[in-house]
Amino acid sequence: MSTVLRITNLYKTFKMGFIPKKREVLKGISFSVEAGEIFGYLGPNGAGKTTTLKCVLGLIFPDQGLVEIFGHPHLSLRAKERVGYLPEHPYFYDYLTAAEFLDFCAGLFHLKKAIKEEKIPRLLRLVGLERAANLQLRKFSRGMLQRIGLAQALINDPELVFLDEPLGGLDPIGRKELRDVILQLKDAGKTIFLCSHILQDIEMICDRVAILVGGRVLSEGKLGDLISEKILYTEVTLSGLAFSDLTGLAQPVSFHRDRIMVKVFDEEKVDRLVDLVHDKKGRIHSLVPRTETLEDLFVEMVKQG
Amino acid sequence: MNSLPSFSHRRGLASISSGLALFLLLVSIVSLKMTINTIPRQKIPGASVIYLPSGKYLKYITFGFPSLAADLIYLWAIQYYSTYTIVDRYQYLEHIFSVIAELDPRYQDPYEVGALIAIYEARNLELGLKILDLGLAKNPDQWIFPFQAGHYAQMAKDFDLARRYYEKTMKIPGAPDIAKRLYAAASFKVMDLETAWETWQEIYATATDPRVKEIASRHLYRVKAAMDIKILEDAIARFKQRFGRYPQELAELVKFRLLSSLPRDLDGDDYLYNPEKGEVGPPKIWWKK
Amino acid sequence: MKIKAIALNTFKEAIRDRVLYLLFFFAAVAVIFSRLLAILTVGDRVKIIKDVGLASINLFGVLMAVLIGTGLVYKEIDKKTIYALISKPIHRHEFLVGKFFGLVLTLFVMTTLMSLIFLIIVFLHTFKIELNLLLAILFIFIELVLLTAVAILFSCFSTPILSSLFSLSFYLIGHFSWGFQTLLQRTKSAALRLFIQALSIVLPDLESFNFKTEVVHGLTVLPRFYLFSALYGIVYTLFILMLAILIFKKRDFV
Repeated sequence: MSTVLRITNLYKTFKMGFIPKKREVLKGISFSVEAGEIFGYLGPNGAGKTTTLKCVLGLIFPDQGLVEIFGHPHLSLRAKERVGYLPEHPYFYDYLTAAEFLDFCAGLFHLKKAIKEEKIPRLLRLVGLERAANLQLRKFSRGMLQRIGLAQALINDPELVFLDEPLGGLDPIGRKELRDVILQLKDAGKTIFLCSHILQDIEMICDRVAILVGGRVLSEGKLGDLISEKILYTEVTLSGLAFSDLTGLAQPVSFHRDRIMVKVFDEEKVDRLVDLVHDKKGRIHSLVPRTETLEDLFVEMVKQG
Repeated sequence: MNSLPSFSHRRGLASISSGLALFLLLVSIVSLKMTINTIPRQKIPGASVIYLPSGKYLKYITFGFPSLAADLIYLWAIQYYSTYTIVDRYQYLEHIFSVIAELDPRYQDPYEVGALIAIYEARNLELGLKILDLGLAKNPDQWIFPFQAGHYAQMAKDFDLARRYYEKTMKIPGAPDIAKRLYAAASFKVMDLETAWETWQEIYATATDPRVKEIASRHLYRVKAAMDIKILEDAIARFKQRFGRYPQELAELVKFRLLSSLPRDLDGDDYLYNPEKGEVGPPKIWWKK
Repeated sequence: MKIKAIALNTFKEAIRDRVLYLLFFFAAVAVIFSRLLAILTVGDRVKIIKDVGLASINLFGVLMAVLIGTGLVYKEIDKKTIYALISKPIHRHEFLVGKFFGLVLTLFVMTTLMSLIFLIIVFLHTFKIELNLLLAILFIFIELVLLTAVAILFSCFSTPILSSLFSLSFYLIGHFSWGFQTLLQRTKSAALRLFIQALSIVLPDLESFNFKTEVVHGLTVLPRFYLFSALYGIVYTLFILMLAILIFKKRDFV
């Protein structure tokens, strides 16, 4: 498996303001992305995800460090020709229509006319905008802008696609559609780099993740490796008993009217609890085993960071 | 994969070459500019706004800054008129200065300078006087305008005109005393001896400065001499007519009752008489007394 | 050519700017108004038409170049349309040069339109077409091109309002050559004179492109002067563009 993107020791400090105040954003980031995988880059807001991405794409110049794309220096044209980028909050030239805009982008890649004529309608269909081909971008809704953004990211048939928070602002249907497109791209052999803080979607589609907190990568690896499938605890909602009845057995979580919710940390204790409720003529309303989710891992990492 | 050194090496090279390119461009700019500086260029100072609309409309265009506009046009005019390469620059002299007058009638320099240019450079006395007349019309309290006009008229030997200007000057409060004297002198020049006599009398009577009194007395002598000589020569002419010859001496005029008495000069001396030519002269030179 | 693609795109963008049409409208009004103004004057009427016409083309051209140029790069950075572009395989300088040519093309179109109206009005008065007028307009255009480069330079690192102020200051300083001459005449100290002379050589002399007076008065200009002026304009424009590229190259798009 070849490494498509390798980042080594990336540092970036911003000097903002009239009396320059230094703000260290990236404090030595290193990770790599392998060919054909969907890589999730996670972190809380302000951790430096977008900054990292901008460094990779040549929008920002890092103070230190190395970025290689397909083994080439990241700023070289050879690297950029094989890359696509969907920015967060995409915004493009208002006065162009969707088709005109894609034509313009295609022009930057020196695509031949025949290829352009075939590709543009195909892309528009892929992102569900074939009916808006001649609509000016100024009239696009946010979701539509997101779609055309994806289309322009794919105009050159890139092997590595960067998506910065692509799912934010989409409705549930839109999100599902986008997830499907991403999986489609993976099937076509592309590598996807996904920046996000919506963990549910990441969990659904990513193969590997890196978690960025406070400018440092605190965790990197396969999802399966990072999150064990053990049952962490079981959430039980019941009525007819008080918290005091359950000391030593379960940890109180919350209550609502006559129902209480507790956490039980042992599978064996769960059985005992069920028996107890049965004895006391209470009722169990729900019983949900909770495995470790990405969110748990994430929260844990943030706390550590 | 150690591309880091070559990358920064390339970057260093790029900065050097771009710095060099910038420097070369700067050098080219400087050398081009210096070359351009050497090429002569015909210039008309300021914009070529010779065709100013007439002052009335111009006021509206100046958006509330008429006096500033007057200043600017005046400054431009001075530059314009000192550019001797523009041969026909007097064509619009009157127009330009009337525009300035319209915009700021109380601004005095332009009247004076305009007249100066008109008279000395354009050699147009009438225009110069016209400008000064305009100045006086707009500024009736400024004696300088008719005063200068009088001088110009006098220089052109139009003493009657000069006299009228000096008279105007005299009437304006604050006018210098010399105006009156110039008026008197000019009156004499046009042979209005009565006015000259009266005026010089007034000057003599009201003078506080002994020198002025001195001047006045000299002029009075001269005026009287002129008056007296006129009377004498008049009588001599009548004598000649009657007797066919000039009188032998002035006393003959009285003897033959052509005059009741012989006038004497202001000092009481007799006038000199040349019987061969029949000419009378004053015994003293008035300004040498 | 990638520069061509960006240039055409910029042209499409600029040509839609309403400010452009507003300025064009005023320019047209001024040129037509000169005909009325001519009636009020004493003297040669055609001269005033020519002068007002050329001055309008010049003034409104400058406003167009500055007002639109100072927004060009800034808008892309502010609205982040530049993200999708820079991540594509184009050099940063290609982007800037493309923007420059796009605006130059726009100005060319606008200048041509304004000149057409102007020349028609002059023709109606004199019944001949003077090539000299075209020459004066050509050099006005060179001045506009230089100003465009300046506007883009400022647009790379400053907000549109500040950039406009700086660009207009550049224009005013550029026409200050008579001031330098006057200053030189009045300064006695040799060191100060040297300083003022150095300043007058390095600072742009936009008067070298100003042939309006000569053309209107029918004065002759040496062909050498035209040649060197044009070269001066081109080289200075290159210099400014180079500066802009250097600044733009190093910029972080935060």
